[in-house]
Amino acid sequence: MSDNKTHQLVIVGAGPAALSAAIYTTREDIETLLFEKGVVGGLAAVTDIIDNYPGFAQGVHGLDLAESLRTQAERFGANITLGEVLAIDTSTKYPKLLTTDGQVRTKALLIATGCDYKKTGVPGEQEYYARGVHYCATCDGAFYRDKKLVVIGGGNSAVQESIFLTRFASHIDILVRSKIKASEVLQKELQTYIDNGKITIHLGISPKEIVGNEDGVYEVVGQTTKGELKKYQTDGVFIFIGLQPNTNFLINSQVELDRYGFIATDGNLETTVKGIFAAGDVRKGATMQIASASGEGATAALKIREYLEGRLHTSEPRELEVNP
Amino acid sequence: MVKNITIFTTNTCGYCQMVKKYLTAKGMGYDEVNLDQHPHRRAEAQNISGAMTVPITVVTKTDDTKEVIVGYNLSKLVPAVN
Repeated sequence: MSDNKTHQLVIVGAGPAALSAAIYTTREDIETLLFEKGVVGGLAAVTDIIDNYPGFAQGVHGLDLAESLRTQAERFGANITLGEVLAIDTSTKYPKLLTTDGQVRTKALLIATGCDYKKTGVPGEQEYYARGVHYCATCDGAFYRDKKLVVIGGGNSAVQESIFLTRFASHIDILVRSKIKASEVLQKELQTYIDNGKITIHLGISPKEIVGNEDGVYEVVGQTTKGELKKYQTDGVFIFIGLQPNTNFLINSQVELDRYGFIATDGNLETTVKGIFAAGDVRKGATMQIASASGEGATAALKIREYLEGRLHTSEPRELEVNP
Repeated sequence: MVKNITIFTTNTCGYCQMVKKYLTAKGMGYDEVNLDQHPHRRAEAQNISGAMTVPITVVTKTDDTKEVIVGYNLSKLVPAVN
């Protein structure tokens, strides 16, 4: 991949924001190279059913939406490379990217790396990863046919993935630190599984330890708000406690991050470094919705076109809404 | 040298698609064991990898040694198949 060429646009990531941007830029004949270290489609691709993306009356499988976005972007000439951007150098005229495939230089850069699931950090989580501790229900749920599961979290992902896991598990205990924060429609669906005894909700429980042996996980220890320890017998644990931005590769760059690691942008979706833009879940103030990410991708693409044509007007930085 | 590659997958696993896409892009053939279609082979995948996850990619070399890659992990997959 290392070459002397200066690309017109490099996009880091290949989720909905990145692919939407690529659809727009390639249709404008802007040569566009994308780097994806994980799954094309991002977290959307590992979501079972997406019910709130406009245009799909019956919902759409995350994998199908991702494939459709990829095909559409590639139809117009987007070049998707499977590789990782390790660092960026903004000291030169054009940003330079250090990637697993060598160095790449680009006139404009769009960061759309999205987020990954947060870790609890409790003892046992790392030790039993993939041997009883999981973050992807659509990947690993099938290993728990007729077994007991614990899900940690109370947001949209935790509830939606718990509902998906009922296809396999005999029973699911959901441990929620405060209260269920999933959307009303998901909560109504959840209630049917509570009513038929498939799911039990435990409010006010924070995980303290994931316990196992050579055979895998057998217990989760939780703590009540009063400090009392409770034990939950299980065959496996799925963790969905929120999202953390994929911005480690920017830590030593001049791109400003907030204290959570999200990227600060102005009204043009431009970061604190000229010519470097950000869109989607990785951006400070993002709403963590696929539809929003796609919209931001399109906006970023149009602003990048203006930038490459030398007619992007500076936008005042603005304070955006609260972080998740 | 690679003799053959087997990937354990499920229908809904996005990371499995990525492993298959990577190998296809490199012009490499593979056998796929879909655990939704062949649930009785789940224990086999678990025994080979020690993990309860997919994708599990088993790369068998010409000297019959095997390399097992858990998940979609390019930093392990790329050297294993090249």
